[in-house]
Amino acid sequence: MSDEIDTEVTQLFEGARKEGLSVIETAHDLHALGEAKVRVLGRKSALSSARSGLRGAPEEKRRSLGQLANAVQTELEAAVAAKQRGFEASERAARWDREAIDVTLPGDAPSLGSLHPLTQTVWEIVDIFIGLGFKVAEGPEVELAKYNFDALNTPAHHPARSPQDTFYIKEGEEEFVLRTQTSPMQIRVMESQEPPVYVVVPGRCYRRDVQDATHLSGFTQIEGLAVDEGITMGDLKGSLQLVAREIFGRDLDVRLRPHHFDFTEPSAELDVQCFACRGSGCRICKQEGWIEVLGCGMVHPYLLEWVGYDTHRYSGFAFGMGPERIAALAHGVADIRMFYENDLRFLNQFGGIR
Amino acid sequence: MRVSFNWLRELVPVEETPSKVAELLTLSGTKVEAIHRPGESINGVIVAEVIDIGEHPNADNLSLVEVRINDADTRRVVCGARNFAVGDHVALAPVGSTLPEMAVSERRIRGAISQGMLCSGAELGVSKDHSGILVLPPDSAEGEDVVTALGLDDTILEFEITFNRPDCLGMIGIAREVAALTGTELEMPDAAPATPSDGASPVDVAILDPSGCPRYVARYIEGLRTGPSPGWMATRLAAAGFRPISNVVDTTNYILLETGHPIHAFDADKVTDHQIVVRRAEGGECITTLDGIERTLDAADLMIADPSRALAIAGVMGGADSEVTEGTADVILESAYFDPASVGASSRRHLLRTEASARFERGADFDAAPYAAARATKLIVQLAGGRPSGDMTDAYPVPLERRSISLAPRKTEALLGMRIAAARQVSYLESLGFRVTIGDETLAAEAPSFRPDIQRDVDLIEEVARLAGFDGLPSTLPRGVAGGLDSRQLAERRLRRTLAAAGMHEAWTTSWASERDLDALALPTDHPARSVVEVANPMSEDERHLRTTLLPGLLRSAAHNLAHRVEGVAMFEIARIYRPTGGLPQEPLLLSAVFCGLHRPQRWHGPGEHWSFWAAKGVLEAVLTAMGVGETEWSKVTGMPWHPTRAANITAAGVTLGTMGELHPDVCERFKVEQGAVVAELALGPLVDAQPGRVKVRDLPRFPAAYMDLSVVVEEAVPAQTVETIIRHAGAPELVEVRMFDLYRGEQVPGDHKSLAYGLELRVPDGTLTDTQANQVRDRVIRALHDQAGAELRS
Ligand SMILES: [Zn+2]
Repeated sequence: MSDEIDTEVTQLFEGARKEGLSVIETAHDLHALGEAKVRVLGRKSALSSARSGLRGAPEEKRRSLGQLANAVQTELEAAVAAKQRGFEASERAARWDREAIDVTLPGDAPSLGSLHPLTQTVWEIVDIFIGLGFKVAEGPEVELAKYNFDALNTPAHHPARSPQDTFYIKEGEEEFVLRTQTSPMQIRVMESQEPPVYVVVPGRCYRRDVQDATHLSGFTQIEGLAVDEGITMGDLKGSLQLVAREIFGRDLDVRLRPHHFDFTEPSAELDVQCFACRGSGCRICKQEGWIEVLGCGMVHPYLLEWVGYDTHRYSGFAFGMGPERIAALAHGVADIRMFYENDLRFLNQFGGIR
Repeated sequence: MRVSFNWLRELVPVEETPSKVAELLTLSGTKVEAIHRPGESINGVIVAEVIDIGEHPNADNLSLVEVRINDADTRRVVCGARNFAVGDHVALAPVGSTLPEMAVSERRIRGAISQGMLCSGAELGVSKDHSGILVLPPDSAEGEDVVTALGLDDTILEFEITFNRPDCLGMIGIAREVAALTGTELEMPDAAPATPSDGASPVDVAILDPSGCPRYVARYIEGLRTGPSPGWMATRLAAAGFRPISNVVDTTNYILLETGHPIHAFDADKVTDHQIVVRRAEGGECITTLDGIERTLDAADLMIADPSRALAIAGVMGGADSEVTEGTADVILESAYFDPASVGASSRRHLLRTEASARFERGADFDAAPYAAARATKLIVQLAGGRPSGDMTDAYPVPLERRSISLAPRKTEALLGMRIAAARQVSYLESLGFRVTIGDETLAAEAPSFRPDIQRDVDLIEEVARLAGFDGLPSTLPRGVAGGLDSRQLAERRLRRTLAAAGMHEAWTTSWASERDLDALALPTDHPARSVVEVANPMSEDERHLRTTLLPGLLRSAAHNLAHRVEGVAMFEIARIYRPTGGLPQEPLLLSAVFCGLHRPQRWHGPGEHWSFWAAKGVLEAVLTAMGVGETEWSKVTGMPWHPTRAANITAAGVTLGTMGELHPDVCERFKVEQGAVVAELALGPLVDAQPGRVKVRDLPRFPAAYMDLSVVVEEAVPAQTVETIIRHAGAPELVEVRMFDLYRGEQVPGDHKSLAYGLELRVPDGTLTDTQANQVRDRVIRALHDQAGAELRS
């Protein structure tokens, strides 16, 4: 073997490299690149035929020529791979373009309904009492006058008994009224069990009030009753303070102010510092700085005696509050009749499932 | 109750400011609702004397009035009122002065210059009277500031007085509270007679009903002259909301305000034989009361009468024909104590609540009758002249006794949860007028005659507590029990939440109903909802009943929303209805729902959909499943208010749940939901009782299922649920799931027929179902459908 052959083979490889690179370079898509790959690296490629020339090369040159052949092959393969990656990348990019969406278009939400604001308010209040160890009871709206008044120590001649103030029901022999408060449930609950009693009673009540922004002839009340050994007025104050702060704001002042109810003694009203003006006086609190939120007191022994509890052993506290008023204050509803109008533009504001 | 602070200060030497006193009273249970300062916004308005009333040159209805404000100075003002005369004292608001609602400037009125204005009571804010200008009492001084002349340099405290405290419906009662709260002494107004008695009383009192009238004090005053009250009295009455009338009548009102004890004056000439008879009314007896209304009396009404006729409804209102008038010279003053229940009953019976009845029905002070009479006598003599004739008559057959109550001071501490030394408790009670005797473990407190509310020891505890102040109470928590909701209450909450999650809005409507609602639903007369609980005294025609269905309320809410251009309504309500029983009504809970308008609005990628029976049914089915109600059966129902062919009764395991369907179009029209509505009304009981219980998991299948579709043609009349039930029964046990996916009517099936297509899922637990097994199931199903429903396989 002569040096000529050596040079000739070297040139063949060099030619295969150049041609190969140019063929790969001119491939304009993945398909053409496939064909180009066969053409420059396949069995019929210039590289392949140059390799067959190696067999005639002298022994001592074969090794370096072989290395040259491998180098050319590697270079060509790399060129194909690089080209392929380029094509794949641009194809993906084109796909992303094709698949582009406007993420700002509105979503297709399932429609969620809403729980009535009064349901939400009643649940919120009831749940606080559940946390304090109370159960929940409900009772009749059409009530015996005996339970609505007599058992609750209402004087026989009290104006609340008049048909101007209280709805009476035409039924049977006994005197029935639409309960004017949830308080008769104090009697029903105590009649049905022995102490300890810890119960809250949400329910609808009725009074012959001319309806306006703050009065309804049918409205909601939540009654509460705790009767146990050693219940004190301090317990009443602590429990209701806690509840009022949970509802209106933990940093607000709460005060108990003496009042009168026939079925509690001593009786009180609970005022919460006005959440709007923090006590300095504004329209919401009628310049008083305080907002009255509920009535309460120590259960009158008359009631305990009525149900046959031992008044030496047991004492209790009771309270009643109006969810309409509390919801109106909490949500800034100027007219509580809104709660019974069921205007969806109103109800939707309480949307979501709470 | 409106209290003049200036007046209050005459009764108790209080140093504190009105605001401070208001706070003390509020925090001890006598709540101040508002504080008024009437003179605050009046500036520069003065007393002037009218010296000339001339014609306005250009206006018949106006006059030019010249007033004098001092010897040297007069003003000419244009005035539209004519209720005054030359010599009268009036309130002049000169140019530059201010009134509550305006600042006064010089004005030209119809060509005449007005140097200010003459004020009406309304303009000064002292009354609501716009009709004329306010004529001031003659004892006011020219040039004096109207604020002082009318006593407007005062603070008015407006109280909310609770039913148990009639004593606080008088100045003395409020003053007593203030004295107790500030550690000062109450100064009772002087009631001592100016001249000693000159013999027996000319008034004869016969109490025929001592239980209705335990005590009757009468006093004869002769030779008086009625006339206007002095300014100070008129001012105080006006501030408290009374219209001044004449010195005698005003004095009775003044004494009512001062003492809290109602008194009445009769024209003595109109009282036959000067004889007062207290008795119950006679059958058919009538009286025309002071308000001019003729009232037929009830045999239970307690009357003040003379031997010939009724003079007054005791404790409520006097009669018109014995009224004190301008010509009255002699009066008989009444100061009595009437039974609270009797006065309350008469007041309610005649729908007549007066200042007097409000006090008597709460319980007046039985010891105050002579004092009030003496005090009134003193004032009348002072203001109207005349002199008392003879002694006071005090008919008091069975004297009432003050109640003595024993209290263990320890119990006060135990009930309040607060330490208050026994001595302190005693001093609180004494400051309120109790006479206290101290024993070993207990004390005995004798309640004052003006405190009818004090009945037992807890009432004393309240007195102690409110004077000690509730601020001092500790804040503690009771021990409680294992609180929480029971399973039904939990289920009801779950139901409400599920309905809301399913896209429905919860509504609350009122319990009121009327015949009209039931007529609008066109319910037949024998429909159970026609049997109603009636309100004896409804406030309106539409509120005569308690509801027996929730639908009218929900439909009205739906209509309200549609009228406000809300496009779709899906609402539910869970509430009670009321069923008469002869005793206490039943009050079962219902779940009702209304669906109308758009179910889904049109979206950018899809059209809008209206609520259909099936869309609504789907919501209901999902909710029933969530509540653990098992398989439901839907069978057609007819009768109002339902669409004749588009409504169903729903049952589950033989228990009726309720009805769902389209509303009859006539009903929709009456409720103004013309586009139609799907509604449902279900009993709540079976839903909250269903209680799904604890889930027991089935193993997941280990072998693949076989799936096949089946289309069958049946007559229109065959319900889909029947077809599905046949498939389920015939396909068992390999058939584990059936889902209907197509309904076809048209050319490819005979008329009056429909094609139903079902996807079937078959599996066996222990292996893969072979084709042969699957085909056997298929054949069984096809045969059963053919035999039981006349179904043919659709080719
Ligand atoms: Zn405020």
